[in-house]
Amino acid sequence: MSLPELTHETRTAHWGWHEHRYFGHRVFEELAGRETLTGLTVLSVLGRRLTSDACAVVDDVACTLTLADPRIWPLKLTRLISAYGSTLPAAAAGLLSEEDARIGPWTGAKSAEVLLAFDAAIGSGVDEADVVRGVVKAYLDDHRFVWGFGTPFRGEDERLVAFRTCIQRRGRESLRFWRLMDAVSSVVREVRGTEPNMGIAVAAAFLDLGLTTHQVGSLSSALMQHMFLAHAVEGSAQGASLRELPATYVDFIGQAPRSSPRASGA
Amino acid sequence: MSTPELDGPLENGAAFPSRLTARVVTPGPQPRVHGYDVEGDLARHYQPSDLLFLLLMGELPTTTVSRGFSVALMFLAPVSVAHASTHAAVVARLCGTPAVSAFGVAAIGAAEHARALVEEHTELFAWLRAPRVAFPERFRARDEADLATLSRLEQALEPTGLAVPGLAQRPSRDAALLMLLFAVGLKRRERLEAAIMLARLPSGIAEALVERPTNFGNYPINLPRFAYTESP
Repeated sequence: MSLPELTHETRTAHWGWHEHRYFGHRVFEELAGRETLTGLTVLSVLGRRLTSDACAVVDDVACTLTLADPRIWPLKLTRLISAYGSTLPAAAAGLLSEEDARIGPWTGAKSAEVLLAFDAAIGSGVDEADVVRGVVKAYLDDHRFVWGFGTPFRGEDERLVAFRTCIQRRGRESLRFWRLMDAVSSVVREVRGTEPNMGIAVAAAFLDLGLTTHQVGSLSSALMQHMFLAHAVEGSAQGASLRELPATYVDFIGQAPRSSPRASGA
Repeated sequence: MSTPELDGPLENGAAFPSRLTARVVTPGPQPRVHGYDVEGDLARHYQPSDLLFLLLMGELPTTTVSRGFSVALMFLAPVSVAHASTHAAVVARLCGTPAVSAFGVAAIGAAEHARALVEEHTELFAWLRAPRVAFPERFRARDEADLATLSRLEQALEPTGLAVPGLAQRPSRDAALLMLLFAVGLKRRERLEAAIMLARLPSGIAEALVERPTNFGNYPINLPRFAYTESP
């Protein structure tokens, strides 16, 4: 009995005989020798290529996001899984911890939502201090936590300081969402005393490149994979020392010892 | 070349504890779970499903709840290769990956499957918390197969004495099983997801284990056929 054919549409790729397709491009003829890894990553997330100038901004993001101390939680979990000796499961575990998380690359997506909300409310009034102040104060009244603001353990986000230099060097500080970020930040700083972090800076830069909020999260995540891979590679080669900590390093604060009803009745 | 001592926020910033905190399982050679001696007590008097319930809920189930929970796990467990979660585990095995990597894929698939199921039934949980409004129609049994499952579920529950009032609404298979989990006390989303994932994970693992690594020639590579398009 013949079955009806199930089909599923894809714009991603096709395997041909002598040439392959990737998002509408011939892999050997158009991409090989011409496109960079950053360009391929952008193509994978956006489904379209960006100019080399735009890809340079993406490279700036990747470099300035490189905060890879193994004590940072998502990287720590990669390090812990790598203690069992494999590399990619450890990197995958780190990747798994990213989507919709409170820290890490998805903060860029959440921050992009915040910036778009401000953009819709402020419109062309970004240079009018009273307009910005009114909108941001109303938002702060309704939101205790604001994505894109706050820098744990330090006064300002050093990654944003470095990234701002890159943005200025490329002449992009006057673009719509970067200006909006600065305008909003001045009010948040005044009202809440918190500084913008790298999440909202990445969001602003990527929105200025035309990305959607989900694309901001996905691309940010892709640009941080090198750090997980680094810890997975190093950790898997280091052996078993992290597999089990001595019990003296653990405090138990749960239920006191007790007998089950069936043991008590036995 | 030696590295100079480096300084940063984690050296001279906020103070952190120097030890981990355990809240469920005691570390050491004779583990306790939520206070109960696993080897000296639970292993002698309880079933693995009771330990799972204890781990998730913090308390041992009553006899009635224990039986109801076991029925729920049993009904939830079979997930055929038609489902993406098990299918993915089989494909991982097909790739010739170490078995444990296929288990990892199965675990991710089972977790995502559970998340999607719970998410799709958000409205059902709202009704279960406040059943004064009309039962959402989209969670009623859709066909004879649903009704037959419901009948088998009621038969399995009958000896347990567990009351699941929502079953009177003639719900779909998925809705009925979620009602059962709710009735035994799993009401928080995370606990529901955990129980569903743990019930279903063995199916994905088992189906992967019986696949032969690199058996590419016997795998329906065009199911589904991916139609490549370059249109925007």
